[in-house]
Amino acid sequence: MNHLSDDDLVLHYYGENGPGIADVEHHLGACAQCARAYETISRSLNAVMPPEFVEIPELPALRHMLRHRVREQTSRLRGLIAVVWLVPLLYPVSLQALFGSGRWAQAHVVGIPLVALTLLWACAGPFLAAFALNHMTADRFERASTRLLVLGALIAAISPSLFLLVSRVNTWFNLGLWSWYAVIAVASLTTLFRWPLASRSTRRFLYVHRLSALVLTVFVLAHVINQALAFVSVPAYTAMRSVMRIVSQQPVSYTVMVTAVAIQIASGAAMGMRKVRAGAVAWNLQAVSGWCLAAFLLMHVFSGLLVRQPQVATTLAPPIAQFNLLATPRAAATLPFLLLGVAAFLFHVGIYARLVALAYLAEASVRRLSYAGIVVAATVVVTVGLSLCGIHLIR
Amino acid sequence: MTDGDLDVFLSLIERHRRYMYNLALRMTGNEQDAKDVVQDSLLNAYLHLEQFEQRADFRTWLHRILVNCALDHLRSRRRRPDAGEPRPLSDVADTIAASSPDPERLMASADWRRQISAAMDTMSPLERVTFALRHFEGCSISEIAQTVGIGNNSAKQHIFRAVRKIRLALEPHWSGR
Repeated sequence: MNHLSDDDLVLHYYGENGPGIADVEHHLGACAQCARAYETISRSLNAVMPPEFVEIPELPALRHMLRHRVREQTSRLRGLIAVVWLVPLLYPVSLQALFGSGRWAQAHVVGIPLVALTLLWACAGPFLAAFALNHMTADRFERASTRLLVLGALIAAISPSLFLLVSRVNTWFNLGLWSWYAVIAVASLTTLFRWPLASRSTRRFLYVHRLSALVLTVFVLAHVINQALAFVSVPAYTAMRSVMRIVSQQPVSYTVMVTAVAIQIASGAAMGMRKVRAGAVAWNLQAVSGWCLAAFLLMHVFSGLLVRQPQVATTLAPPIAQFNLLATPRAAATLPFLLLGVAAFLFHVGIYARLVALAYLAEASVRRLSYAGIVVAATVVVTVGLSLCGIHLIR
Repeated sequence: MTDGDLDVFLSLIERHRRYMYNLALRMTGNEQDAKDVVQDSLLNAYLHLEQFEQRADFRTWLHRILVNCALDHLRSRRRRPDAGEPRPLSDVADTIAASSPDPERLMASADWRRQISAAMDTMSPLERVTFALRHFEGCSISEIAQTVGIGNNSAKQHIFRAVRKIRLALEPHWSGR
């Protein structure tokens, strides 16, 4: 006879074993061992009684508190909107600072912390976006202030990719920095209108999203590992890259990759906005890293199709400044783009893994694993960053 | 939003206030945290009142906001330096004991509550909230999963772990008595 597990007995105690309830009752009647175990569980759980409030706070006190906190919240929302919109407005300045500090660091070693600081500035957008979304007062984008905040957060998060795209398109029009500010201005106009809301369930999207993510992860991981390898040895990186290039340029693999990217972006866009809500840190980080990743992949895979520019073969490795992205201003703009692309990929996969792990492991174990994951991801990003700045152990 | 809006909102929540405080107390384990959670959730509910759909149940909507605020609060409480010394549920039990005619029985009851409180303090925020919703509020596992935003299996596992912690704390007493 198969005995009932403790978990089965707990489910039975709470009446959660559905159609199997009669079988469990029958088993408990026939098996003394399981009946004893069930009695012990029942006694323990019966002893856990609900506590009650003796005296709850009065209504006038609540009214005063609510009025005070609503005022506080409104001024905070204004501050958050200003912060997220400052990111794209100052993004070209941050790139200029990054390039300038890079040049200075080549002559003076003390300039290296300055490079790190300006790089942090250029990469700050997604982190500020996640922070702002976490403190917003979500109302399904019904208020213009919420739309301003969410759109500002979105543009802040994708600024590195969007800036590269705009600068590529700009080669046709030669408008200089005006094109960047024009794009931001046009985008901000969309906050004047109500946004459509996806009312459908995202469950089906999630399945397709995961499936295409599996395919894409193979390609992206290979790229990330190779880019990190460049820190250790340039010849090893070059050899692996030439092999990867042969594989990825095969019509079949290229089609699979492009299709997977398209599915990822389409299904991710449908889910991304629904996940955004105040206080949901993991979901907001997932949404922001998803936005970054979508913009990165869009720019990386489709840039050849979007803009005719035969002299540049790929976004990921500009031939002129392949091993030092601080060598030219144009190459410096790709440094935050690439680093945030890698970070977004690791974050996105990591947060998903964390949510899945919560179903199987205790929260404390998942937290410890998450910390370990953050250390590994930070190491990978720093290694890739060093290699992109022209620092290699073996040249 | 005007003062009039606030008054309408307060009249809407008046019927649910005691329920909210008690649910918050069951999830957090002490009165001060419960008051903070109720304040946060009322603020959220007031700011998002436009989101409330007329056909939905107002209490269910409040319940969802309250549970998520409690989770956030429990998570931040774990990060605070004084997180190791939460105010015990036994305070509540002692208060009840003071107005009861049978002090000896209630002393034993207070002792039980202390054991249970200690066991619940070892639970993670998710374990504590899912357990409170299942055990005290009688919510089904699928309702809990939906409210908290996790999968059914995940909710089940958190409840199992919470029950294990309760049993670990209480079962030695059963064999000892």
